[in-house]
Amino acid sequence: MIRLATILWTLAVMIAGYAMFQVKYEVVRLEDRLAQLNHDIAATRDESRVLNAEWSLLSDPQRLDRLNQTYLHLTPVGTAQIGSIDHIPFRPGTASAPMLAKAAQ
Amino acid sequence: MNHRLNLGHDNPCRPRHFRPGRAVNASPEGPAKAALELSHTRLLVAGALFLLAFAVIAGRLIEVAGFKSGDLRTAHLRQRGPSHVTRADIVDRNGVLLATTLDTSSLFAVPKQVPSKGIAAVQLASVLPETSANELYARLSSDKGFVWLARQLSPQQKMAVIQLGIPGLEFQTEGKRVYPKGSLAAHVLGFAGLDNTGLAGIERGIDGSLKNGDAPVQLSIDVRLQYILKSELARQIADFKALGGTGIIMDVRSGEVLALVSLPDFDPNNPGSAKPEDLFDRATLGIYEVGSLFKIFTTAMALDDGVSTFASRYDATKPLEVAGYTIHDDDPQKRWLTLPEIFMYSSNIGEARMAADAGTDRQRDFLDRLGLLRQPGFELPEVGSPLVPHPWRPINTLTIAFGHGISVSPLQVASAASAVANGGILYPATLLKRPDGSAPQGRRVMSAATSLEMRKLLRLVVEQGTGKLANAPGYLVGGKTGTAEKVENGGYARHALVSSFLGVFPINDPRYLVLALLDEPHIGAKAGGATGGLTAAPAVRRIVERMAPLVGIQPVDENSPEIRRSLVVGLPPQGRTLAAN
Repeated sequence: MIRLATILWTLAVMIAGYAMFQVKYEVVRLEDRLAQLNHDIAATRDESRVLNAEWSLLSDPQRLDRLNQTYLHLTPVGTAQIGSIDHIPFRPGTASAPMLAKAAQ
Repeated sequence: MNHRLNLGHDNPCRPRHFRPGRAVNASPEGPAKAALELSHTRLLVAGALFLLAFAVIAGRLIEVAGFKSGDLRTAHLRQRGPSHVTRADIVDRNGVLLATTLDTSSLFAVPKQVPSKGIAAVQLASVLPETSANELYARLSSDKGFVWLARQLSPQQKMAVIQLGIPGLEFQTEGKRVYPKGSLAAHVLGFAGLDNTGLAGIERGIDGSLKNGDAPVQLSIDVRLQYILKSELARQIADFKALGGTGIIMDVRSGEVLALVSLPDFDPNNPGSAKPEDLFDRATLGIYEVGSLFKIFTTAMALDDGVSTFASRYDATKPLEVAGYTIHDDDPQKRWLTLPEIFMYSSNIGEARMAADAGTDRQRDFLDRLGLLRQPGFELPEVGSPLVPHPWRPINTLTIAFGHGISVSPLQVASAASAVANGGILYPATLLKRPDGSAPQGRRVMSAATSLEMRKLLRLVVEQGTGKLANAPGYLVGGKTGTAEKVENGGYARHALVSSFLGVFPINDPRYLVLALLDEPHIGAKAGGATGGLTAAPAVRRIVERMAPLVGIQPVDENSPEIRRSLVVGLPPQGRTLAAN
């Protein structure tokens, strides 16, 4: 009886020890991974800060205007270029406006 | 154990025939029993002690394996966090980045470890254009243990230095404040020093929350409007050879400043190279006698206090002489004028008489209510105090009526005029975006009816009066011109003007206020005639035309009956034909 108990306990201790070290190594692995991820996040954040700053630098209206004057020669939208959809005449021979309005309803 | 064995079975003295009784065998008695119990207790105690010890060891193992070890093993990875980047970003109302903090590397050398200093200096000078080879050589030859070679390198420069492969050079990471938009919002942002402490502008004004906060601070500024305002002002300054200028775009319904420009300006990335006049913020720190812009407030006062109505008439037949001063009109009509005509022609005589009717106390109370007599609260540290006459004599009342003898900042004028236009509620000016949907705390300073009448008058100025050049077709601009002679050596300088225009649009339902002010504009070589209506008003027209599509304001038909009904002021038919077509 005593022999059996001893064997069982020894076995239990061995299993527990093995399991504990397994868990320990797993935890260590996860800790490393966590730290690595945190580090990567910080690095990516730094990188995105730089990219944000660069985007802001490149989209500076002063720069865009300079580029426009060199390459595109666009001018600001004038009042005459803005209208509402009601002001666009229908093509001759198509449905009239009231009919379309009815159809839309 | 031995006792029991010896006693029970192998005692040599025991007779062989003697068989002990059962009881004796089953449970020893006397000293044997006591010894047995003692050893039993000892065993238990020892076992418990061992158990305790193992439990402690097991607990410690779990603690070390499960919770502690990571700290030790990965501490080096955690140290290099974003710890040195602590100053919060600044963004505009649409989230466009205006100021951020970036890691930069600064290059230092340990001179003893640099082998051939001459070659190193020449090589370094080729990648660091700001510093000459001679200077680098001098620094490398010093007998100090540590010398800075270049602060805050760009990533490209850092790579170039690494590729040189010179021993004895090392980098130190530092946070650097970067303003990607350069000079665009220079006076709004200000700048921060090398140690990341705000030294001017909003960087200094809200230094505390920038230092402690992590989330970006959102300003009320709109970068697009800021650029429109800046480019149009710069164009006027160049065209009219002005010393400088300033402009403000304000949301009249909340007091939010959407754009604030002061020219000349500086690059916040390099404030050290800016001249003192570049750093001076004309919009908030500068105070000016703004001239006829003040007629907005005089007229509003007379209407609000019931002193005058649209039908009131004042004598403008000849210059007004009071206490040794003569008050002239720039465009004399030489007749009695109604209140709308006075405002439209910008008659100094008429406004002076109007203020005289109202009296000094009313005028002072009204201007105080509009916040024109006290230093305004604002997020920038550069805020000027108005220059108010003391004592306030009757002659001051007359000159202040048309904006002379009192100096205020353009920011104050914009705030007060917003209240006149928006229905009569004064909102404190702010550079911080108000949260969406939050109703700003305002203070009623005049009746809604007065505000409506003032809107009609402002429209009249642009339609038929001194501000015709500000008329952006379709956007219903209303406004007022201002032309003031600068105070010099106690008198007025005829050839140094401050010319301005204050526009509000769309005037039937005001949303935005645009103020443009030019310091000493000239037409040709002359200062005379460079009035607000000629110099500043066209800038406001172009600003309105460029910004309206961005802020979603649709052009309307100005001659449609409902708009004419709501805005047109009936003028007496005498003189020129003024009534609306």
